[in-house]
Amino acid sequence: MIRLTFSLNGRPVRLRTAADKRLVDLLRQDLGLTGTKEACGAGECGACTVLMDGEPRLSCLTLAAQAEGRELTTIEGLAPAGELHPVQRAFVERGAVQCGFCTPGMALSAAALLARNPSPSAQETRQALAGNLCRCTGYQKIVEAIQAAAAALEAEP
Amino acid sequence: MSDHISAGHAPGRTFPRQDAPSKALGAEKYAVDHYGEGLLWAGVKRAGVPHAKLRSVRVEAARREPGVLAVLTAGDVPGPNRQGVVRDDQPVLVEDKIRHCGDGVALVVAESREALARGLAAISLDITELPGVFDPEEALAPGAPLLHEDHPGGNLLLEGRLQKGRGAAALADCPFVAEAVWELPRQEHAYLETENGWARLDESGAIQVIVSTQTPHRDRLEVARALALDPARIHLRAPYCGGAFGGKDGVTVQSLLVLAAMAFPGRPIKMWWSREESMIAGAKRHPARLHYRLGADREGRLKALAARLVYDTGPYDHLGGVVAALGLEHAGGPYRIPHVELLSQAVYTNNPIGGPFRGFGVPQALAGMELTMDLLAGKLGMDPLELRQRNLAGPADASPAGVKLAGVEGLRGCLDALAGHDLWRKRAAWQSQAGPHKRRAVGLSALLHAMGYGPVIPDEARARLVMLADGRFRVYSGVVDMGQGNASTFVQIAAEVLEQPAHCFELRQPDTDEVMSSGSSSASRTTYTYGNAILAAAQILRARILREAAAILGPRVKPGDLRLAPGEAVHPGLDAKVPLRQVAERLSVERREAEYHYVAPTTQEPKAPDQTLALHGFPHAVYSYAAHLAAVEVDELTGKVEVLGYVAVSDCGRVLNAQLLEQQMQGAIIQGLGYALFEDFAAPRGRSLTPDLATYIIPSSLDAPAMENIFLQSKDASSPLGMRGAGEIGINGPLPAIGNAVARACGIAPRRFPLTPERVLTALGQLGDRP
Amino acid sequence: MSRVALPRDLGELWQEMDRAPQAMLYAGGTDLLVRRRSRPQPESPLICLERVEELKRLELRGDQIYLGAGCTHSRLLASDLVRQRLPILARALAVLGSPLVRNMGTLGGNLATASPAGDTLPPLYALGAWVELASPCRVKRLPLCDFILGPGRTALRPGEIILGVAVPVPLQGARHHFEKVGQRAALAISIASLAALIETEASGLVRRAHLAWGSLGPRVVTCPAAEQALEGGGLNRESLSRAARLAREAVSPIDDQRASAAYRRRVAGNLLLRLADPA
Ligand SMILES: Cc1cc2nc3c(=O)[nH]c(=O)nc-3n(C[C@H](O)[C@H](O)[C@H](O)COP(=O)(O)OP(=O)(O)OC[C@H]3O[C@@H](n4cnc5c(N)ncnc54)[C@H](O)[C@@H]3O)c2cc1C
Ligand code: FES
Ligand code: FES
Repeated sequence: MIRLTFSLNGRPVRLRTAADKRLVDLLRQDLGLTGTKEACGAGECGACTVLMDGEPRLSCLTLAAQAEGRELTTIEGLAPAGELHPVQRAFVERGAVQCGFCTPGMALSAAALLARNPSPSAQETRQALAGNLCRCTGYQKIVEAIQAAAAALEAEP
Repeated sequence: MSDHISAGHAPGRTFPRQDAPSKALGAEKYAVDHYGEGLLWAGVKRAGVPHAKLRSVRVEAARREPGVLAVLTAGDVPGPNRQGVVRDDQPVLVEDKIRHCGDGVALVVAESREALARGLAAISLDITELPGVFDPEEALAPGAPLLHEDHPGGNLLLEGRLQKGRGAAALADCPFVAEAVWELPRQEHAYLETENGWARLDESGAIQVIVSTQTPHRDRLEVARALALDPARIHLRAPYCGGAFGGKDGVTVQSLLVLAAMAFPGRPIKMWWSREESMIAGAKRHPARLHYRLGADREGRLKALAARLVYDTGPYDHLGGVVAALGLEHAGGPYRIPHVELLSQAVYTNNPIGGPFRGFGVPQALAGMELTMDLLAGKLGMDPLELRQRNLAGPADASPAGVKLAGVEGLRGCLDALAGHDLWRKRAAWQSQAGPHKRRAVGLSALLHAMGYGPVIPDEARARLVMLADGRFRVYSGVVDMGQGNASTFVQIAAEVLEQPAHCFELRQPDTDEVMSSGSSSASRTTYTYGNAILAAAQILRARILREAAAILGPRVKPGDLRLAPGEAVHPGLDAKVPLRQVAERLSVERREAEYHYVAPTTQEPKAPDQTLALHGFPHAVYSYAAHLAAVEVDELTGKVEVLGYVAVSDCGRVLNAQLLEQQMQGAIIQGLGYALFEDFAAPRGRSLTPDLATYIIPSSLDAPAMENIFLQSKDASSPLGMRGAGEIGINGPLPAIGNAVARACGIAPRRFPLTPERVLTALGQLGDRP
Repeated sequence: MSRVALPRDLGELWQEMDRAPQAMLYAGGTDLLVRRRSRPQPESPLICLERVEELKRLELRGDQIYLGAGCTHSRLLASDLVRQRLPILARALAVLGSPLVRNMGTLGGNLATASPAGDTLPPLYALGAWVELASPCRVKRLPLCDFILGPGRTALRPGEIILGVAVPVPLQGARHHFEKVGQRAALAISIASLAALIETEASGLVRRAHLAWGSLGPRVVTCPAAEQALEGGGLNRESLSRAARLAREAVSPIDDQRASAAYRRRVAGNLLLRLADPA
C-alpha cells in the first residue's frame, strides 16, 4: 500500500491504496466516482477517459501510483457542482446522449479539445474523438454538439 | 386521435431527454455502478471448447485460493437449471455437455476481483472433446453430431416455409434470373456496458437484483424457473442500459447472480463480464447464408422468387426461431411477386450463440433481397431505382410472404424522395470527380420492418401514471430504456396530454415491484405499445383532474369549460384558476393513480402455415418503411471503402420527437455501416478470432459519414398516436445500399460481407479469381 | 500487489533498477498494461518512466533531430520540429492508435515493443534513424535496423533502456509519404504500411529513394532493389510498377485474421503506385 496525494476535481485528496490498482478502479470503487466508465479495459474504447493535468487519458491503463501529484478531473468535476459545462449542455440539447455510457469520456475529450482549439472544424472534432467509441449515436449529434459548444464558448465574454 | 395532442403542439418538436443531463454529468447510476459495503465478486468459468462431454470440474485448487469463498457447479443449482424463452435449452451451469466455448461450467464467488481471477484460473476441467458442427449445412447433414439429443428437429431449431403461386418452378419462365448466395457475418452488439448485475439476499428472503437487461419481468420468471424459486421473492430493477440492441433481451448474468446471492445471504454480489467474456458468452446477430433466385420478365416485372435463408443459431434457442420467422416474413422485401417459394431455417451449431440484435433476422433477409435486386437490375440493364419503383407492392397487394403491407404507399414516397435527391440525380457528375486510383458509385436499398410480437404473443402494455400530492406527476416506465430514450417519450406523451412542462414529471425506471409487465424493450414496439398505454392513462387522469377542478370552482362549472396549464387548471371564461396541488389534495390516492392496459393490433392474415410459425411471430400488422442511399469511394490500390454520403428517407408514421427519431436512425445506420464494412465475429470451428475490441472492429468517429435523414409522416389509423416502430428499420439499409454501391464501383458484386479491403481488392480482380 | 516506482531522473531510475533487477519498465503503459491484463503477473514490481526528465528531450542537435524515448506521440505530433522537418514521421504518428493512446504511448515504448505493426518504425527506418541506449555505465548508439531483431525482440540488454532516437534531418524539399492500411480510420493496427522518403533533383528526377514497409514481415521490410528502380528516373507509372513488383518479391507477410499474406503482398506493391499522384 502507498500513500497518494493528488488533486481530484479541484479538491486535494490523500489516500492509501495499492500502487498498482488501476486508476479506473480507484475512482469507481474506492472513491465512488462511477461517472468514469469501463468498457474494455484495454485502451480501445475511451469510456474510462479522465483528464490528467488537463490532458485526456485512459484510466484503465493508468496505475494509481501515477496520480501522485497530478490534477485529475473526472466527469463529475468537469463543471462546478449543480452546473453543466458548455459541452455537457450542448450534448443534452443537441441529442448527443443516448445510452450515455460513452458520454463522460466523450465530454472530457471534447472539453480538452475546445481548451486547445476553440473552434475546431467538423473533421478536427472527429479526429479528437477517434479514441472514444460510441455504439449508439453514429457520432453525428456528438460532433454537432461539440461545434455548438464551441460557438457558445466563443460567444461568452 | 385525441385533439389536445395535435392542437397547439407542433408535432415532432424536440422534447428534452429526461436522462440526458444526469448521463452527461456522470451521475446516472447504471446497473454496473452499484457496489456496496462487503461486496463480493462473482464470475464464471467458461468452457473454452466448443463441444465436449464434461466429466468433472476440478474445483479444489480454486477453493484453496485465498479470498475465494465458494465455487459452485451444476450440482449446486437448485431446480431444473434450464433457461430460455421459447425452448428452455440452456443450462445455467453445464451439467454434462458443453455446447460452445462460452458455456459456463462453474461459478466462483470471491472477496475481490483479483481473488476471483485467481479462483477462475485455478479451475480445470475434465472433458472429452466431441466432434462439433460449425456450419449449418454440416449440422443438417444426416448423421451430424447433435447439439440437443432431445430436440425432435435434430439440429434444426425451426424452419418456416411459404409458397405462393407456382413457387420456384416459375423461375423457368423468366427470361431474366439473378442468382446468388450471400454470406453475412456474425455481428456483435458491442454495447459499451457489458453484461452485469448486482444482487443481495435480504433478511426477509427477498432477493434484490439490479441488472442491465431489456426484459426485467420475463427475466424474473426465467430465473425463478431455472432455480426453482418463487418469482415473488425476486425483486428486479432495470436501470438505464449502457446499450443493449437486443443483446440484453434474455438472461445473461441473472440466474448466476441470484445463485451467488443465495449462497451468501446479506452480502452484495456483483458480476460484471469483461469485454472478452461478453464477446465469448454473449449472443450475436446470426450469421446467415442467403440463397436467392429472382426472376423478371422483359419489362422488368418481378415474376418469381426462390429464397432459402439459413441462420446459424449457435447452441441454444436464444430466440433464434423468432429471428428465422421474421426473416421469412421479410425475405421477399416490399415487392409484388406472383410466384414465391421461401424457406427460412435456424440451425443449431457449436458456434457462438445467435440471438436478438436490432433487426431480428430482417437485416439478413433484406440484404439478400436487395442485393439480388441490383444483380437483376444489372441483367435487365435497368436503373435499380426504377426496378424497385416498378415492382413495389400496392395497397391491395400482399408481400411475397403473403402479408398485407399496410401503409406501403409510404415506401413509394421514400423512393420518390431519393429519386429527387441530388446525391442520386447528380451521381454521374459526382462519380466522375473521383481522384486518381479512386472509384465512386452510389447504391440503394428499399426497406420495410414489422413492429411488435406478431399474432400470438400479446403485445400489450400496462402503463402507470400517478399524480403526486404536490400536483406534479410520476411516470412509471414499464419498458426498459436501453438508450433509445423511450422513457422520455413516455413523459412527453403524458406531458402533452396533461399540458405540463417536463420538469413537473418524475420518471421511474422499470422495477418488478412497482409495475406490471409491459413486455420487452425490443421489436420496435416499445414507444408504440407503451406509448399508447400511457396516452390513455394520461387521458384518464386528465379527465379526473378537470372534473375535480370543475367541482372546486362551483356547481355551474363543467369540466369541459376548463383547460390545463402548467401547474393549474384554468377556466378562461371566468378567468378562474385552480392550482393542481389543490386538485391533488382533494383526490384520493387511488384517484390520483391511473393505469391503462393497451393491446397492440395484430393480424391473422395470412394465417401462418403452421402454429409454430405463428408462435414465433408470423405475421405482423404494422410496418415501417424506408429507402437508403449510400455514396461510396473505393480505393483501387488497397480495396478500402469509404462511405462519403448517406441519405435515409423513412416513413415511421407520425414523428413524436424528431431528435429521438434521428438518434435512432443515425445510430442504426452506423451500426449497419459497421456490419457492411468491418464487423465479423469470426469463429472458425467455434473458436473466436476476434475476442476483444482490438480485433472486433466497430466504426469510430472517423469512419462515420455525416448522414441526412428525411422523415415522411404517413398517417397510421391503427395507432392513436400515429407513430410506428422506428428503432430497427435503420439497420436494414446500409449493408445492401453499400454493397450495391461497391458492386457498381467494382463491376462485380462481392458475395461475402463485411466488405473488407481484401474482399474488395479481390472483386477488383487483383487477387486471383474474382468471386 | 506490485510496487510501482516513479523515478524522476536517470539517477533514481538506475537506483530503482538496481534494487529490483526483475522489475518491468513501462512508460505510457499502452502496450505493457494491456499485456499485463491478459497475463497478470501480480507480484513483479513496476517502474514507470513517465517522469524521467532525461527521456523527454526533443531538440535539434546539429544535423540531427533528437527525440527522447519518453516523448509521447502527441507531444511529437504537436512539435514544430517534427511537423516541419519530419513530416513522414508526423503522418505515421497521426494515425497511430487514437488521440488517447497517443497522449500516453511513447516513442521508446513503440520501439521496445518492436511489433511488426509498430507505426513509428517504417518512417524511422526510411529516415535512417539511430537508437540511443543507456545503462548506468554507458551510452551507445545503434542503427535502428540493428536494434530491431524480430517481433518483440530488440538488441536491448537487461539493465539498459532506450534513451532516445537520433534522426538525420532529411534534405529540404524531399517528398515525405506515409500510408497505412488498417481495418478502420482510427484505432487500427496496421495491415500494411509504407513510408517513403524521396529526394529529388531540381529536374524532378529521383536522386535517392528510401522505402520501408510495416507489417509485411517479422521486421520492417526494406528493398534496395525497389529503391534503385526509382532512382535516376521520375516517379511514374512504369518505374513505380517496376518497383512494386520488386517490393512484392521482397516482403514476407503472414496470414492473420486481419488480412491474408496474398493481400498484404499485393498491397505492398500497390502502395508505391500512390507516389505517382500529386503529393
Ligand atoms: C488501443 C491501442 C491502440 C494502439 N494502436 C497502435 C497503432 O496504431 N500503432 C502502433 O504502432 N501502436 C499502437 N498501439 C501500441 C502502443 O500504443 C505503442 O506501441 C506505444 O508507442 C507504446 O508506448 P508506451 O509508452 O505506452 O509503451 P509501454 O507499454 O509503456 O511499454 C512497452 C514496452 O516498452 C518498454 N519500454 C518503454 N519505454 C522504454 C524505454 N525508454 N527504454 C526501454 N524500454 C522501454 C517497456 O518496458 C515495455 O516492455 C496501440 C495500443 C493501444 C492500447
Ligand atoms: S475502458 Fe479504458 S479504453 Fe476502454
Ligand atoms: S451513447 Fe451509447 S455508447 Fe455512446
